[in-house]
Amino acid sequence: MTALLIDDEIQIRRLLRLALEGKGYTVREAENGVLGLQGVAYHKPNVVLLDLGLPDLDGVEVLRRLREFSDVPVLVLSVRNQESTKLAAFEAGADDYVTKPFSTAELLARLAAIQRRQGADENANLACGGLLLDPAHHSASLDGHALKLTPTEYALLAQLVRHAGKVVTIKQLLRAVWGPQSEDQSHYLRVYANHLRKKLEGSALSIKNEPGIGYRLELAGS
Amino acid sequence: MVNDSTRRDDEMENSSYADALLADIERTASKDGRLFIFLGMCPGVGKTYAMLQAARQRVAEGVDVLAGVIETHGRSETAALLEGIRVLPRKQLEHRGFTLDEFDIDAVLAQKPRLVLVDELAHTNVPGSRHTKRYQDVLELIESGIDVYTTLNVQHIESQVDIVRQISGVAITETVPDSILDLAHEIQLIDLSVEKLLERMADGKVYLGERAELAVSNFFKEGNLTALRELARRTGAEQVDRDLEDIRRLKRVGSPWKTNARLMVGVGPSPYAESLIRWTRRAATRLNCPWLVVWVEGSRVLTSAEQDRLTRSLGLARKLGGEVISVTGENVSTALLQVARERNVTQIVVGKPDKHPFWRKSLADQLILGSGDIDVCVVRPLATPGKGAVASLREPVPASTIAEFSWVLVSVFTIASLCWALVGYTGYMFVALVFLLAVVLAALRFSRGPVLAMATLSAVCWNYLFIPPIFTFHIGRPEDWIMFGMFFIVALSMGSLTHRLRLREMAERRRARLTDALLRMTQSAALSAEPEKGLETALRVIDETLHARTALVVRCADRTLDSKTHPASSFAPSAKEWGVVAWTHTHKQTAGRDTDTLPDSFATWFPLQTATSVMGVLGVRLEGETRLDFTTRETIAAFALQLALVLEKEHFIQAIHQAEILTKSESLRRALLDNVSHELKTPIAIIQTALDGRDSAHTPASPDPELVETLKHIGASVIVRQEESDPYLSEIQTATDRLQRVVDGLLEMNRLESGALQPSLHWCDLHEIIATARDAVGSALESHSVSIHLPDDLPLVRLDPVLFAQCLANLLHNAAAHTPPGTPIEISARLDGSTLHLTVRDHGPGLPPGSEDRVFEKFFRAENAPTGGTGLGLAIVRGFVRAMDGEVVARNAPGGGAEFAISLPRVETFREPDVTP
Repeated sequence: MTALLIDDEIQIRRLLRLALEGKGYTVREAENGVLGLQGVAYHKPNVVLLDLGLPDLDGVEVLRRLREFSDVPVLVLSVRNQESTKLAAFEAGADDYVTKPFSTAELLARLAAIQRRQGADENANLACGGLLLDPAHHSASLDGHALKLTPTEYALLAQLVRHAGKVVTIKQLLRAVWGPQSEDQSHYLRVYANHLRKKLEGSALSIKNEPGIGYRLELAGS
Repeated sequence: MVNDSTRRDDEMENSSYADALLADIERTASKDGRLFIFLGMCPGVGKTYAMLQAARQRVAEGVDVLAGVIETHGRSETAALLEGIRVLPRKQLEHRGFTLDEFDIDAVLAQKPRLVLVDELAHTNVPGSRHTKRYQDVLELIESGIDVYTTLNVQHIESQVDIVRQISGVAITETVPDSILDLAHEIQLIDLSVEKLLERMADGKVYLGERAELAVSNFFKEGNLTALRELARRTGAEQVDRDLEDIRRLKRVGSPWKTNARLMVGVGPSPYAESLIRWTRRAATRLNCPWLVVWVEGSRVLTSAEQDRLTRSLGLARKLGGEVISVTGENVSTALLQVARERNVTQIVVGKPDKHPFWRKSLADQLILGSGDIDVCVVRPLATPGKGAVASLREPVPASTIAEFSWVLVSVFTIASLCWALVGYTGYMFVALVFLLAVVLAALRFSRGPVLAMATLSAVCWNYLFIPPIFTFHIGRPEDWIMFGMFFIVALSMGSLTHRLRLREMAERRRARLTDALLRMTQSAALSAEPEKGLETALRVIDETLHARTALVVRCADRTLDSKTHPASSFAPSAKEWGVVAWTHTHKQTAGRDTDTLPDSFATWFPLQTATSVMGVLGVRLEGETRLDFTTRETIAAFALQLALVLEKEHFIQAIHQAEILTKSESLRRALLDNVSHELKTPIAIIQTALDGRDSAHTPASPDPELVETLKHIGASVIVRQEESDPYLSEIQTATDRLQRVVDGLLEMNRLESGALQPSLHWCDLHEIIATARDAVGSALESHSVSIHLPDDLPLVRLDPVLFAQCLANLLHNAAAHTPPGTPIEISARLDGSTLHLTVRDHGPGLPPGSEDRVFEKFFRAENAPTGGTGLGLAIVRGFVRAMDGEVVARNAPGGGAEFAISLPRVETFREPDVTP
């Protein structure tokens, strides 16, 4: 497994290399955006860790260019903690966002979560924790028991399961579930998210809210 | 079709319903004062008496009443009623050596009583007062929120003037516009039977003024009084009727009236115009519909008396609430009909023609012929007597006309003598052509009279001197007769046609000059690189065009008027004029010379008004005694509008410039902040990662217990270093956490203090926000039990989730840090109307007394506080809450412990609709 580190701070790169190699990753490094993009093309890494404050290009711009040719999971690592920056990163195609300073354990957990999703088949049954979704019949079961869902709840849950572990922005959810003209109707989303949260109570799954950004389906213990 | 028309009716009804509703709301909710009118049929019915009685009633109710002006006319009963009411001393005004008393409006505005009594609404103010008429004073009082009681006789109502004149033969000059009756909150009719009134007059209880005898003989006849009484009662009844209509419309009772009517009246400089305007206003009031007054400007140049009369008529129309339109056109009826079609007029009002040449159709006839589906209403107008009418009958013949007549005489004589010498060679027909040429040439220079005179004179000369038999007016041959007739007709019509052409050309040229001036002004002001210079050029253009002096006062950036004139002004207003300037600016109305407001000023002041605001005031002082006529006024208004637009453009450019600077400095600040946070946070991140790495590197490195056992077993001495918690590392960890919090706090504080914090609102679930905040505080809360009390039916709220969660997290962190481990923390929230209350309560030692507000100060630290805080947490809470328009307070809870309460007003909520899952 290869991880590509794009960061201009040599100390961060050294420390992350240590932590990642301890988890069995082969680590490649790039010290600016252009080298990073070349690295993605050349090494075809399994995961990319991207800093936003790069000396040559803005991180969000790097992400945008990277998404033009690659679907590799990208975890953004940045000192910027304003939700507008986070939202911009998610909209440019980030899979997760961790603010510096970070806890190494959490970073590794998040990396594992975004990689788990990799390679999931779009049309296959969606599974996550004890939850199993059957796209053909729009039915769901939780720990072997059938789960009663309204069509809207099903659509919302399917979106979250498809991106399990990753933040799905409010805009993406609204567009996928309610259609492109409902992007400002976020109160419906809150209501249905609450319904789902109640129905998933007691299972290993929980729906986490990222204030001002979106939702993430989390598997306890991951 | 049927459906369609019903729908249209419905819409019409709806719109008028909405209008009535609006009017009702305006009337009840506006901050304007209310106007109460005590209406009587004539002097002596007891209006003042009734007004004072009503006022005493209000005084008894504890209302602050001020008697602004009361005419007791020496009657003791009335004067007795004034007892207990504060009386305003009158203002003394000097006028041509006399000292005159006048109502002191400024004193009333300064004292601001609840109710002021102003007797005799129709009174004309002493010259030198602010307004020409007392009713304008009253309007200003109402506008500034003061209630007014006033008295009025029915003959003083503008639209009743004609009727009163027909009844009594007395022409009333002191009038109030009808619109003031519409403004009245209540009209109380003071009625008295005619016998009683005559009785009171006989007892000498009625004040008749200096012209008492005249008044008795002309006015106070039983017949007149009965008619006036009827008029007063009808006016009162009309008012009640209108109130009733409003109520019916409000209550959605079926609407029996048509509101789609629209009246139009064409007026010119004739003495009948005022009467026509009054008639139209009365008709429009009864039909409850809008009305237009149209003035068709032809090529004819108006005499100054006509100009005056026209200005007065149009002024009257505006005063009575009509919309005044001015159009140009040679043919009055065509122009009128065109306006009527464009504006969807349903009825055209036109005066009954009294005399007109038999070969031309009267205006009424022409209108009727071309009106199509528009009704034409022919009414008999009354000529307005007075200053203007007499003067207009005989204009003094101007000196230039006399000179022209002399020129005509001389030239006809010269041509005749020349031709006399030539006639032998050319024949007398040639002479006719020469005369004709002379007439046409003369028409290019002279006015109509001399040209027609020349045509006639030439014809006579030709006949007498040249057509055989000469030296007689007798014409021998029939073909000569025909020639003579033809010559006469051709000369007359050529003369008159050429003259008309010339007039039209002059009018065109005048208009072109104005348009050109307007264009030049706009160009110089709008396109000039230096706005100051552009304005100066613009003002000079106005000066030249109008032969006037101008002064410009520009609005400052803070929306107040500059205290000095623009340097480009060509005259400086006196101290007194500044009052007019200020009045014009605040009231957005033209004031000063030749207007109804403060007519004593030297200049006329026009507000520079755009669609949104008044950009300044333009003063125009015409040279000499020139009066401000209608066209000049319109021209100045056009200039003023252009100036206003130019100034507004300047204003916008400056605003944009300002905004650009702000954006630039904002992005600069942002870049700096990003850099600083990068530089500060990266080392912390490195330390943090290094610490994490050391922890995970050492845990597996601790010696394997099995290995230790084996080693011990073989007799080796093993020293196991206890590395479970390295005290140095844990100190670094604590310090790093603290440093991280301080840096976060400082950066947040910086964001707050730069004013760049804009809450971004999202629909939020409070449960979610509380969960996020608890996560953010993390391990610090582990030693406390947190209980959450939220109402079950708490709806979604629209607020900034990040800021709010941060506030809550800071409060929780604060509570956890300042209370002993194990004590509970309670979070509760509730919605009170649209205000969201959230409280965090702990069970610790509470706040030191007196520090309830100081805890929100930056770096404030209570004496007994544990170390380790940043001193910024609560300051950030207050900053964030205020950025969300809310407030946060700290207090000691009744049962012990501290309580922090956030309240956010005007929070939008969304209650989940009943969805069955």
